[in-house]
Amino acid sequence: MEMIDRYIYAVTQKLPHSQREDIAIELRGLIEDMIEERIGDGKITKKVVEEILLELGSPRKMAQKYRGTKKYVIGPELYDPFLIILKIVLLSTAGALGIVFVIQTVINPVEILDHFIGLIVALVTGIPQAVGWITLVFALVEYYGGVKTKELGLEKTWHPSMLSAIPDQKRRIKRSEPIVAIIFYVIVMVLFAFSSNFFGVYVFNESEFREVVPFLNEETFSQYMPFVLLLLAIFIVKECLKLISGKWTMKLVAYTLIINLLGIIVVSLLITGDAFWNPNFMSELIQAGVVAEGSEGYHIGESIWINSTRITVIILLVGLVWDTIEGLIKARKK
Amino acid sequence: MLLGVDNGMNEQEHIDKLMQELRRGTITIGVLSQLSSPQYGYSLVTILEEKGIRVEPGTLYPLLRRLEKQGLLDSSWDTNEARPRKYYVLSEMGKKVYEQLCEEWESIVKSLDGLIKKGDNKYGDD
Repeated sequence: MEMIDRYIYAVTQKLPHSQREDIAIELRGLIEDMIEERIGDGKITKKVVEEILLELGSPRKMAQKYRGTKKYVIGPELYDPFLIILKIVLLSTAGALGIVFVIQTVINPVEILDHFIGLIVALVTGIPQAVGWITLVFALVEYYGGVKTKELGLEKTWHPSMLSAIPDQKRRIKRSEPIVAIIFYVIVMVLFAFSSNFFGVYVFNESEFREVVPFLNEETFSQYMPFVLLLLAIFIVKECLKLISGKWTMKLVAYTLIINLLGIIVVSLLITGDAFWNPNFMSELIQAGVVAEGSEGYHIGESIWINSTRITVIILLVGLVWDTIEGLIKARKK
Repeated sequence: MLLGVDNGMNEQEHIDKLMQELRRGTITIGVLSQLSSPQYGYSLVTILEEKGIRVEPGTLYPLLRRLEKQGLLDSSWDTNEARPRKYYVLSEMGKKVYEQLCEEWESIVKSLDGLIKKGDNKYGDD
């Protein structure tokens, strides 16, 4: 009877290869026994088979009973932080795309319709991407996290003396910190992805927008962009780990250290090179009519520009180093 | 429906859920008790049902496999009959575990009897 074959196939499909054949024979025997009990030597009808299969329940549930344990892509323990981060990232992505739309409209008000279509397209393509990446990261944490607890046999050898102390208020990570950081990174990421020109001095002429004098070197930035985006994505992962952990632990410090070291290396390589910043920043400011060449304002502007690029690098590096040291100090607190 | 999700269950649903939990453990003892001689899955369903223990095949078959995997049961295929059947029987360890379980069960029954039949119980006269 074809329906029986289908049922057995549907169940065994969801089981490990090694058990399939055995369970298939067993199930077939069971179904035939049940049919025989019902009709004796009578004729097998579709109705009887249907009744019996209904009694056995859906193949999915049957397979679940054979497997014993449930399998998760993202298990119950990670589900809540997953939802939180998903919400944060989706909202800030949508917010950032909104900001992009506003900036584009300010820069070029005539093409507002195009900007609007661009916004919709970006929402439609960007949001599934964000969901996909977050799911991937969480699935990896689930997969490797799960394997580790099993290997270490933590559940079996557990003892009350192993209970870690309730984290000191100082050791805890306030939820707002990683959340704000994630929102910030996502917005910066989206702005970078659209145009490096969004970062610059906005020049207005009698309340009408004229142009942006960009901080960054437009010509070379397209080469840098993948690295910048990747780095920001890794930073978001770091903040996610903080949010999941909720407290500073040595493990978290280790992850933070690795990610921050990577960040320091990338930032040093990118930003300190000549090609990163807009080499014509000052002359473009003059052309835009913000300052006049040789004037006092020009010299002040120039020194601010030169110093601020250096200071940005220093602030970024100090921030990353401090993030690691702070974690280490807090993780050691008992 | 009453208030909220948690209170949405009616009396019967509560009973069903609690009974399900209660049965889960007792079925294992019931199964072990009937396996001093080899049985295949469906014959076990019939035997247990005759004695008032209803087990769905969909529950029993996976349970038998699990008990075998845990080493409480041994199995062998009989291919002489009309269709191949997998016979299960208590292993040496299974026998010991079953005996121990019986003792535990007796003590649970005794203790619970002491609790629910205490004095003049107005709910139960049996």
